Amino acid sequence: MINFEEELKKFHPSLEIEDAEEAIYNQDLTDMADILVAMLKDMKEEE
Amino acid sequence: MNCYHCGCRLSEKDFCTGCGADVSVYKKIIHISNSFYNIGLEKANVRDLSGAISSLRQSLKFNKNNIKARNLLGLVYFETGEAVAALSEWVISKNIRQEKNIADDYINAIQTNTARLDTINQTIKKYNQALSYCNQDSLDLAVIQLKKVLSMNPNFIRAHQLLALIYIYTREYEKARKELLKCTAIDANNTTTLRYLKEIDLVTSGAEDKETQQKVRKKESDEVIKYQSGNETIIQPLNVKEQTGVSSLFNIVIGLVIGLAAAWFLILPARISAEKADINKELIAVSEESDQKTTEIEELKRETESLTEAKSELETQLQSYVGADGTMKASDSLQKAVRMYLEDPTNLQAVGDVLMEIEEESVEASTSEEFSLLYQKIMELTGPNISTSYYNTGYTAYKQSDYTTAITNLEKAVRFDPANGEALFSLANSFNKNGDKEKAKDTYEKVIELFPGTEKASRSEVYLTEMDAS
Repeated sequence: MINFEEELKKFHPSLEIEDAEEAIYNQDLTDMADILVAMLKDMKEEE
Repeated sequence: MNCYHCGCRLSEKDFCTGCGADVSVYKKIIHISNSFYNIGLEKANVRDLSGAISSLRQSLKFNKNNIKARNLLGLVYFETGEAVAALSEWVISKNIRQEKNIADDYINAIQTNTARLDTINQTIKKYNQALSYCNQDSLDLAVIQLKKVLSMNPNFIRAHQLLALIYIYTREYEKARKELLKCTAIDANNTTTLRYLKEIDLVTSGAEDKETQQKVRKKESDEVIKYQSGNETIIQPLNVKEQTGVSSLFNIVIGLVIGLAAAWFLILPARISAEKADINKELIAVSEESDQKTTEIEELKRETESLTEAKSELETQLQSYVGADGTMKASDSLQKAVRMYLEDPTNLQAVGDVLMEIEEESVEASTSEEFSLLYQKIMELTGPNISTSYYNTGYTAYKQSDYTTAITNLEKAVRFDPANGEALFSLANSFNKNGDKEKAKDTYEKVIELFPGTEKASRSEVYLTEMDAS
């Protein structure tokens, strides 16, 4: 049986257009390639 | 594919030919990202938008510069109604590659159409408002807001799901099912949608079973009795009565009575009241007309009265000017009398005859002072002589017992000279002898009044006494 309150918590307010700029700036764009490059850089420095 | 270190184009080797950096792992990461992109694309093609989002995000986690994955992710977000998320991805995509990037077209398509942009913003605001209503337990308001949101953006999956959740909570399962089916049309494999649908199926199937069982049991108990009789199975329907002619007739009669009662109590009063209303309307119209006519009649009466008054006034004025053959004629007669006297002062008889034409009422009614003065003057000059002449004639006639002629002449004599006592007394005697007692009395009284202490007065008194005694 679905619990209405629990299900309702899963619904979050949607971003408005005015908030889009902030959301883009706050987005973490780190990907695996960046992690790999960082790891390789660390390894080189240790050497 | 370019080298992460120097940006050179990579070959099939596991190292960069430009800077010599080890690119084997890097290449694998790029390949994985592309694989996830391909999976995402396949899912998007079959409308598994949730799956596509998941795969494309994975792709971007491996390679954030995967422009195709990012653009596709934006498209999928837009299709599910998440316009701001879509715009975010396209903006980031454009920042990574400014030229020859289809994200530019997507962004322009939204931003140039300000009405659409405004609609998108309104949709988001209303959705957030609906969510807050849900948290405040104002479900009716939330439903209204969500319906508005979905009318503006029918692809907004989260709004559909929230509305379905409210319907499930309020046990309106069919409405919830409708919303969720709309969701599946947009996003076929959305987990939340499928979970809600399963819940509805569970609940409704359980309720249906109970209902069906109850209906079957009821039907069975109502319908038939089965029993075996030897090799035969006897099925006897219950609650079936034979229709006899009498009962049919009775039913018909009851039906007629009900029909008549319905007509009497329902139809007839309405008809009667409608007719009464019509009659009242006509009555009102007739009354209004009657009032109007009465008013008109009153007005006409008043007008008639005022016109009659005006006519009388005018007639009176006319009388004063024209005199109805009186004053105008009197004026002519006076002028004639004066002319005759001036021509022949001895011809008093003729002058007197003309003056006799002038009625005393005309003289009194005359508004001309000159007329009155002239009349008085001519009477002064000629009156006494004319009076004597008429007295002689009248007295002669009296002596000859011609009382009628005597009265005529003596009256003229009195008129031309009211101071002629003999004429007045003879006139009274003439009236007396002629049998006109009333006039005789009046004239005797005049004599007594005008000539007191004279012999004529005492003789008048005697005659009066004799007349009263008789």
